[in-house]
Amino acid sequence: MEEKVLTRHFGVPDLLRIEVYRGQGGYQAAEKALKQMTPAEVLEEVKKASLRGRGGAGFPAGVKWSFVPQNIPKPRYLCVNADEGEPGTFKDRYLLTHNPHLLLEGTILASYAVGIRAAFVYIRGEYETVARRLEGAIAEAYKVGFLGEKIMGTEFNLDVVVHRGAGAYVCGEETALLESLEGKRGYPRLKPPFPASVGLFQCPTVINNVETLSNIPFIIQNGAEWFLKRGLPKDGGTRIFGVSGMVKRPGIYELPLGTKLRAIIFDQAGGMKDGKRLKAVIPGGMSAPILTEEEIDLPMDFDSLVSAGTMLGSAAIIVIDQETSILDVLGVVSRFYAHESCGQCTPCRIGTSWINKIVKRMVRGEGEADDIDSIIRLATNIKGRTLCPLGDAAAMPILSICQKFRRELEGYLRHA
Amino acid sequence: MPRFQIDDRVIESAPGMTVLNAAEAAGIDIPHFCYHPAFPPEGSCRMCLVEIEGLPKLELACSTLVKEGLKVRTKSPKVIEARKGVLEFLLAEHPLDCPICDQAGECKLQDYFDEYGLFHSQFKEAKEKREKKFRLGRNLILDRERCILCTRCVRFLEEITKTEEAGLLNRGIRCEVGVFDSEVVDNDYSGNLAQICPVGAITDSDFRFKTRVWFLESRESICPLCSRGCNVYVDSHPGYPRTPRARRVYRVRGRVNPDVNSYWICDIGRYGYAYLDEGRAPRLAWRKGGRDTRLTWAKAAQILTEKARSLVERGKGSRIGVILNSNLTNEELFLADRLFRKGLGVENIFLADPPPGKGDQILLTPDRTANRRGLKEAGPPVKAPGLKALADLDLLFVFGHYLASGIGPGELKAALAKVEAKALFSTHRSDLDDLVDFIIPTPVIAEKSGSLTNIDGRVQTFSAALEYEGEGLPEWRALLDLARELNVEPGLFSALTSPESVHRVLRDTVSFFK
Repeated sequence: MEEKVLTRHFGVPDLLRIEVYRGQGGYQAAEKALKQMTPAEVLEEVKKASLRGRGGAGFPAGVKWSFVPQNIPKPRYLCVNADEGEPGTFKDRYLLTHNPHLLLEGTILASYAVGIRAAFVYIRGEYETVARRLEGAIAEAYKVGFLGEKIMGTEFNLDVVVHRGAGAYVCGEETALLESLEGKRGYPRLKPPFPASVGLFQCPTVINNVETLSNIPFIIQNGAEWFLKRGLPKDGGTRIFGVSGMVKRPGIYELPLGTKLRAIIFDQAGGMKDGKRLKAVIPGGMSAPILTEEEIDLPMDFDSLVSAGTMLGSAAIIVIDQETSILDVLGVVSRFYAHESCGQCTPCRIGTSWINKIVKRMVRGEGEADDIDSIIRLATNIKGRTLCPLGDAAAMPILSICQKFRRELEGYLRHA
Repeated sequence: MPRFQIDDRVIESAPGMTVLNAAEAAGIDIPHFCYHPAFPPEGSCRMCLVEIEGLPKLELACSTLVKEGLKVRTKSPKVIEARKGVLEFLLAEHPLDCPICDQAGECKLQDYFDEYGLFHSQFKEAKEKREKKFRLGRNLILDRERCILCTRCVRFLEEITKTEEAGLLNRGIRCEVGVFDSEVVDNDYSGNLAQICPVGAITDSDFRFKTRVWFLESRESICPLCSRGCNVYVDSHPGYPRTPRARRVYRVRGRVNPDVNSYWICDIGRYGYAYLDEGRAPRLAWRKGGRDTRLTWAKAAQILTEKARSLVERGKGSRIGVILNSNLTNEELFLADRLFRKGLGVENIFLADPPPGKGDQILLTPDRTANRRGLKEAGPPVKAPGLKALADLDLLFVFGHYLASGIGPGELKAALAKVEAKALFSTHRSDLDDLVDFIIPTPVIAEKSGSLTNIDGRVQTFSAALEYEGEGLPEWRALLDLARELNVEPGLFSALTSPESVHRVLRDTVSFFK
């Protein structure tokens, strides 16, 4: 398919080897940037490409880079967020498994643009094979002089270190990631200050998602214009959609931003499995508010989904069929956030646990008439009042499930 | 200076101040648990959320800095609802065992519920079961069910003592404060943890279950146990019958003074209060021929002044000696100087103090007296007491019972036996009691008023935190009485009636105290 960018070489055998990657045009963007462009030109190109962060929040990457102060004596750091923990999301895993050098090239470009000499890849602890592949790729890159000192014969130096997480969802939150990387408890930090000014080891830090950085080589190689054409005017490039759940062909699908959700499910992923009927879709990872069957005719881009009251998040599409009990969905969601709440702030720590206790009681068949209202009230008390976005991430799907599927949930109550 | 609005008031405050601090300075209370003025904002309890015009979400008052034109609402429906929400969460998993909780009556959770909560519980689930009597420290019991995880204790150990004994364990609802296995919080400031805990999670084993806080009377005082001069509250039982404890004082707490002790006191000052009630010298006594005879201060003063007068008149003023100590107030030391050195020409003025201890880098000083600096500035020059010099005296005024600790008891007894009249002004019983003729009990610092000069030269005035219940009298009054009886400097002494009046003279005559 023509519009594929990030996954276009996925079928190439041994793509994870540096010579194969170079044979596909790999590291040409890095060479071009390091030898022909100034860091400011690289930054400007990325800004023009309207590349929005692929981790979930969708913050423009170039703008984020430009927040990093250049005129202070402290070192600057890049943290690659490979702590892919959002349920339903597996795109970074594919990117790293198949094409680790693409991330490294993006890392070199971002570091060059921001004036960074050390980058850390914080990788999800469970991604053991992935981490080993990435470490192998890093070793190869050092060997040929693409990492380390005087990269490609230029004056640019960069070291890349892989750090494996220990299994906490919250460490995907950028400031908790920094704490964890510093060897501390993965507790999100109070913002401001933002990591761009006070980040890793109190130094200015850029934190980018794997997919975000993997886009950079294409932007530099082909230009911002080319990149913009593959997406939307305010939202450049393609997006890797991860489709899971009751579809015929679950997996990752790289498509232009703005592709219709219904088309992704029914055309790309082959439609519903075993003749099942679609009931609901979670469009952007588990934190995204749920959509009913009637709501899925909408383009998958940041702004359209926000208008629809949900979010694109990590573009992980979870497809739920009619036979799946919405109470079970609610149970999975509430258990996950109760389990993953770090415990730092009151509403999230106690709220997620309380909701989970109510839902568990409902699952046992002991639900009472006011339970759904209680869950809505508690989730409302979490939303917007927590220290980090995990609280919102828990409250939003729970609220949307309770509101959109209230009648079905009421059917599970004791006195229904 | 940024001008901004809180509720209906326009406030001007220093740049860099937080909304919470600025509001507090203006008398507007914003409830909070995790925020403590000694630490950077933590932002975890979410109790201090306020509404700021133009911002979509509620913001933390503890970390938002004031800015020109900011419009803050602390009582809007959204804020009230958010506070209720946080209280509802905290109380859902709280054991609500206020009737047996020592914090009841001074508990932030209780107070805030009363002020901002007052809802019915909707929590139908089983509460988490947690350790109720975890031994967190030498004197500290942690009740994990009551803990609201504000982490003040953890941050105190990180930021103040830098000992970092405690930390957080586990995640989410299972999150708890803990220490390494087989270790406890063991430092000289551990008692502060119980004091900064906003709820009854950390209680002091020294205070636990002894009384209810609403029976206690808190009065301000200065800790005299080292030369830092930490500001304290002395909490005493003003008479409610309560056994088994016969003591008046139930606890000593740190009192805020940013220039001296910040918010803290050391464990010596906190737990060392037993001396206030134990081993006190209760009786005025005249020890004659191995028997104690009761007498009044007037009588004792008469005998002592007659002796002094006759020595001075016979030109034997050099046979009068005085032993001072560095726990006397500035005023007392000043009076001693004017009476003995300047008035009577006494040359034998000695100093006997409690022995020094180990200091630390935080508050505690090696000098374990309260007013050594005051002695230097207000008192007479002093020398170390020698046995020979003591034995040559005919009349000796001993202030404080510290002499016995410095010199071998046998030798001291022999030396003092040669002194015709010896008067001991002492707060406590000691070995010295058997070596003197007159015992005049005196109040401790917490029972009198005056001023002390701390190690940094800061003069701190204080008044009595406890009633003095002994038969004796404060040293300043004794010195005034002796001076009047001896007709020393009538122009000076006749006008003096109280520590305040002495302090005024001190300020006028000694440049250090200006």
